[in-house]
Amino acid sequence: MNLLNYVPGNSFLHRLNPITKLAAAFLYGIACILCDSIWMELAFIVLMIAICAAAGLGTRALRLTRNLLILGLFMFVLQLFFVRTGEALVTIGHFVLITTGGLTSALLLSLRVVATMLPLMLLFAITPMNDLCNALVKKAHLPYRYAFIITTAFRFVPLFSTEFHEIQDAQKARGVDFETKNILRKMQLVAPLCVPLLVSSLEKVNSSAISAEMRGFHLRSRQSGYKEYPFTGSDLLVFVLLLALVAFSAVFL
Amino acid sequence: MIVADHVTFQYADSSDPALKDISLKIGDRDFIGITGTSGAGKSTLAMALNGVIPHEFKGDFYGSVKIDGMDTVEHQVEDFCRKVGEVFQDIDSQMVASVVEDEILFGLENFGVSHEEIGARLEKALDDLGIAELRTREISSLSGGQKQKVAIAAILALEPQILVLDEPTGELDPESSREIFGLLRKLNEEKGITIVIVEQKIKLLCEYVKRLVVLDKGSLVFDDVPGEVITHIDMFKTLGINVPPVAELSHLLRLDGLWNGGITLTVTEAEKMVREVLHDPV
Repeated sequence: MNLLNYVPGNSFLHRLNPITKLAAAFLYGIACILCDSIWMELAFIVLMIAICAAAGLGTRALRLTRNLLILGLFMFVLQLFFVRTGEALVTIGHFVLITTGGLTSALLLSLRVVATMLPLMLLFAITPMNDLCNALVKKAHLPYRYAFIITTAFRFVPLFSTEFHEIQDAQKARGVDFETKNILRKMQLVAPLCVPLLVSSLEKVNSSAISAEMRGFHLRSRQSGYKEYPFTGSDLLVFVLLLALVAFSAVFL
Repeated sequence: MIVADHVTFQYADSSDPALKDISLKIGDRDFIGITGTSGAGKSTLAMALNGVIPHEFKGDFYGSVKIDGMDTVEHQVEDFCRKVGEVFQDIDSQMVASVVEDEILFGLENFGVSHEEIGARLEKALDDLGIAELRTREISSLSGGQKQKVAIAAILALEPQILVLDEPTGELDPESSREIFGLLRKLNEEKGITIVIVEQKIKLLCEYVKRLVVLDKGSLVFDDVPGEVITHIDMFKTLGINVPPVAELSHLLRLDGLWNGGITLTVTEAEKMVREVLHDPV
């Protein structure tokens, strides 16, 4: 399962205006960045998972958290050895390996990364890309050109990955062994595939552009969009709640 | 109506013309098949019929293509792409949206169809192709045949007079291919839409189209009803185009003097012929 795919649904999260969802994800992230307490960062993560679980997205949230924790672990290790404040915690002979300051700052930073990125990642689960871009064009006056670039980029990722696998399979059929455990060897084998991939990708992009132009891409204006994305009371409520959360985090945490 | 008059086109990066002196008239309610080996210029011709060539591809363009009297060189692509809709060869890359509904809305929105009318047009296009139940599906989750129908629906929603399709069944299994041809015939007969279809599957072409155009190395070799074109079986062999086995059978029987009727194009016709030859009525 792709962790960035849209999950169809009709929960209270799905029904929000796409712009509200985007803003909410950012505001939640800002609140996490402003927060300076390890326990509160943990609370932010748990709260996010709980909100998602209530909207039927519990598994997705947990899987994402697990993947983000791997990234967090990387940050944790870096911070642990590079921050040298506080008292010595682990020493090897006279060499201080880990300090208390290093440990707390590593914990805080890694949890903060997870807490900040989680809502942004979950945004994709509750918002179809097209809706987000159309809403941004209609309400936030984003030029359609840019919106189109964003949606197209997202749409092409799986196409390119299929293309890549096809090229790889063609090479396998001719006896290239991609199953090797040796990473350097693997990179050596994969690198030459980039050229055909690039060429076929450019061709695809070109035919996509022609197809869009044949259907009047240049004639499109901000008013063209058929679907409307009205703001409702619940959108306002979410905005107020999230702003309050940011203020709370800035002042108290 | 499209009139191509002595059209020659050479891509900027090529040393040979892709189309050589092609003259072709496409009338109202026509159902035309264009065939030929790969590299014969089929796709180039399809793109020349609605102005994609010479507007989107660099190269030397001679002669003229007129759509309802409008010269494709003098007007912009937007001026006639609603009259002549084109479904391109690569199914995936011609899509612009991730959900079926948005894909069909794209053209309608761009051409400024009034918002009162858009909903009805969307539903009609979905119904015409029999894909109403796919409306909210993700395009990436559809089968090849379904995707092709979505691509056709997206063009059909713009209500073109002429529909040009470049190998619409290229990636489909025989059953879905037949289904697409059936749909096109329905659109042609019931809605009076002119269909121009570029295709390798000569058997399907012979069964469905009213006129068959054969290209070879950029030149137009034949332009006639399929039953007439297919009589030149030896010519097809030199061109390297496979003919339907039933047509070849009737051709061989004719050569041996056992059959003096026409070339058969369908299995039913062939069965009748064989029974006659064997004096074995049903």
